Amino acid sequence: MSGVPGGEALTALAEAAVGGDEQALRAARESVRRALGDEALVDAAAVVGNFERMVRIADGTGIPLDEPMAMITADMRAELSIDAYGGAERTGEIRGAKRLAGRLLSRVLPTAFKLLARR
Amino acid sequence: MAAFDYSSAPFPIRADLSEAYRITWRWLARPGSWWTGAEKLAIAAASRSARGCALCAERKQALSPFAVDGEHEGEHAGVAEETVDTVHRLVGDPSRLSRSWLEKLLAQGRISDGHYVELLGIVVCMASIDGFHRALGLPLEPLPAPEPGSPSGYRPATAVPGVAWVPMIPDGKADGAESDLYSGRAPNVLRAMSLVPDCVRQMRSLSMAQYVPIAMVPDPTANPGRAISRAQIELVAGRVSALNECFY
Repeated sequence: MSGVPGGEALTALAEAAVGGDEQALRAARESVRRALGDEALVDAAAVVGNFERMVRIADGTGIPLDEPMAMITADMRAELSIDAYGGAERTGEIRGAKRLAGRLLSRVLPTAFKLLARR
Repeated sequence: MAAFDYSSAPFPIRADLSEAYRITWRWLARPGSWWTGAEKLAIAAASRSARGCALCAERKQALSPFAVDGEHEGEHAGVAEETVDTVHRLVGDPSRLSRSWLEKLLAQGRISDGHYVELLGIVVCMASIDGFHRALGLPLEPLPAPEPGSPSGYRPATAVPGVAWVPMIPDGKADGAESDLYSGRAPNVLRAMSLVPDCVRQMRSLSMAQYVPIAMVPDPTANPGRAISRAQIELVAGRVSALNECFY
């Protein structure tokens, strides 16, 4: 799975909350409570709420992906088939020097963030 | 009893969450830039009741969401038909909206781009607050009573057409009355609703409580003291976004 502690329970919560299956949601809440505790459940539910908002802001206004993010994520999006989403057409294809620059950045940034986290 | 009183909730709920929700409830009740308080609350009620609409479920399964006609289910008192449809599409199938759909809606002449952005602001606030309650199995908070007054008609002079379907305030132009919205280079999602500045303010307020403060977003190691790590936060965020097929 993701390697994130409690990842399976958190994923189940997200899926049940978006899907609207009440029985699955009750089970998912209990899983998160057992794995991570009550406060973690509340924080996870808050993130669910936050992104139910954010996705509609993006798709309701037709905003494209910001160029730096589009460059860094070009390879990953292709690999995960995210470019097949309907909203992908709003973001221009990243090619040539920008694709190369994005590829280099995407390799450097994870290390940079790990170093930041250690400080 | 004050709104969002969680004293009887089965889990401890952070005070900043209830305070952020109260701020949004007060905003909903007030006249906005384009809709009255009563109209905003009618839109909020329609948005809340859009979940479970059979027409929306049928459209979501269809090859094209625009190929299926019918009547929406839910609470629509005080909301015009095209506004109800707009609300339901934003709630039920946002990833398949298009520029041409919005252009046709605005060309009907019944609502302006400002009306649309403010409506969007209402729908997304309801999605996030109700989404939180549903995820926890908590009852939905009753909507407040409307305050009297007329919409201001306020439109930021710096908002211009650009990369989105609606005008936005460009980078570096959020100044004066809008200087609190963002500064410097701002991501598109922060600028998206800037045609109605209060919608951005609501977004920032809710993000601070439900996710992380805007300033912390770019740093994937930053965490404002939540009970889950940033990695766990982003796992949930990514999954919700993927399930909604949100490319951004």
